[in-house]
Amino acid sequence: MLRPCDMMAVCMARLIRDGETVFHGVSSHLPLVAVLLAKQTHAPQAVHLNIPGGVDPQRPTLEAFTSAGGTLLETAQAQFPLSEVFDLSMRGGLDVAFLSGVQFDNRGGVNASVIGDYRKPKVRLPGGAGSAVLIPTAKRAIIWRTKHDRRTFCETLDFLTARGNVSDIITPLCHFKMYAGELILHSIHPNVTIAEIAENTGFPIRYLAQTTTPPPTEEELAALRDIDPLDYRNLEFR
Amino acid sequence: MNKLMDLAAAMAQIPDGAMVGLGGNTLNRAPMAAVMALAYQGKQGLRLVKTAGGMDVDLLCFAGCVSSVDAGFISYETQYSLCQHYRSAVQAGKVQANEHACYTVISALRAASYGIPFMPVRGLVESDLVAANEYFAKVKDPFSGDILNAVRAIQPDVSIVHVHMADARGNAVIEGPQYDDILLSRASKTVILTAERIVGDGYFAASSRKADIPHFMVSAVVHAPRGAAPGACYGVHGVSDDELHSFLALADAEALTQWLTRRHVYA
Repeated sequence: MLRPCDMMAVCMARLIRDGETVFHGVSSHLPLVAVLLAKQTHAPQAVHLNIPGGVDPQRPTLEAFTSAGGTLLETAQAQFPLSEVFDLSMRGGLDVAFLSGVQFDNRGGVNASVIGDYRKPKVRLPGGAGSAVLIPTAKRAIIWRTKHDRRTFCETLDFLTARGNVSDIITPLCHFKMYAGELILHSIHPNVTIAEIAENTGFPIRYLAQTTTPPPTEEELAALRDIDPLDYRNLEFR
Repeated sequence: MNKLMDLAAAMAQIPDGAMVGLGGNTLNRAPMAAVMALAYQGKQGLRLVKTAGGMDVDLLCFAGCVSSVDAGFISYETQYSLCQHYRSAVQAGKVQANEHACYTVISALRAASYGIPFMPVRGLVESDLVAANEYFAKVKDPFSGDILNAVRAIQPDVSIVHVHMADARGNAVIEGPQYDDILLSRASKTVILTAERIVGDGYFAASSRKADIPHFMVSAVVHAPRGAAPGACYGVHGVSDDELHSFLALADAEALTQWLTRRHVYA
């Protein structure tokens, strides 16, 4: 049985190219696992950057309560803390930033701030963390979201936290890609139908070709179990 | 000068309405003992500053101590989920959420540490945050004429930082991730330290590892072992699951007072 968290981690990992500088932040176990997976498989020279500032942590022990803890620094070779990762992005040196949010439109807009009015919100969300500066400055902002429904993927955002260089959005159902300024369906995860995606997406689904996301290979699944033996990549689904 | 004092005396130095920078990141090395003492003392109108806050911000909002929060992200991260007290305080209009990108908090603190009124930042190109918040503005590069966004300086009245080691004068070392705490110390008018361990006066002079925070920036030093609990302190302890759940289960302000009183007595 293919689990969404495994499909998402693998799909995110495959987007990392060898040699790229890649950052993830807090509440980010799935991207953390994806970066470690990419480095263990097709992208050994990718540069793993994170909030505690450990460059390329080697086989870090993952912690359930945080994706920004000390184990990412203690197993690293060099220090490069959050403030410097941001600086790197500002001067054009960050290739990939993994970010999330609560609402997304089909033009690459992200809302991680509020539902309702900014000053008197119906729901105050945690906030965009680095999104407002990283989405416009990183070469590619890759979004993951473990909820895929009509409130999440909607025509109009309640608030625009950031728009910019969103390149991909990965959900439990599919992989969207930005193409000519529009979010289009790139591939459908195994065992999902296009009708299911259309039903759960608040804007019209458009695609160039109907393709299926290649399922995780045995090698990728074995690497996932090795990197993340306590299954923190599944935390958002528990 | 010996700045050692107990936690209650150190927190009593912070007046209602103060702008308070908090060290650490989410559940990592936040100054929780100090935060609980602030709540216990019934502070009012605190203006909190942090890149990514968690239980510290949530608890102070629950206790009614807060008027505003300047931060990029407020959550316990995934396992312990959202800061419900922060959320409901903002939704009820009791607390003003000043949302930043984490980097604009850093840039605002840098401006304060450099002694300048604002800092230009890239990013924020298409974002409703710029129009929604008066601390963002457009600024013209006087050399090229290009237009950039700027963020106003943030100079906390005091920052509270939990450290691994400090001497009585206030020289301090943070082991493992320092997050934005060194910058916070430089940007703030003064610093209050809570420390896992107090070392003797000659310690840093004799050590090859010099202090990260020098004594002259610090106004109070508190010996507070487990001062980051129930959050984690790198190399000392992880999160205390039972205590986190006991806090998250508290129903109302009265239950919080009892919980704080129990903590205070045991401290």
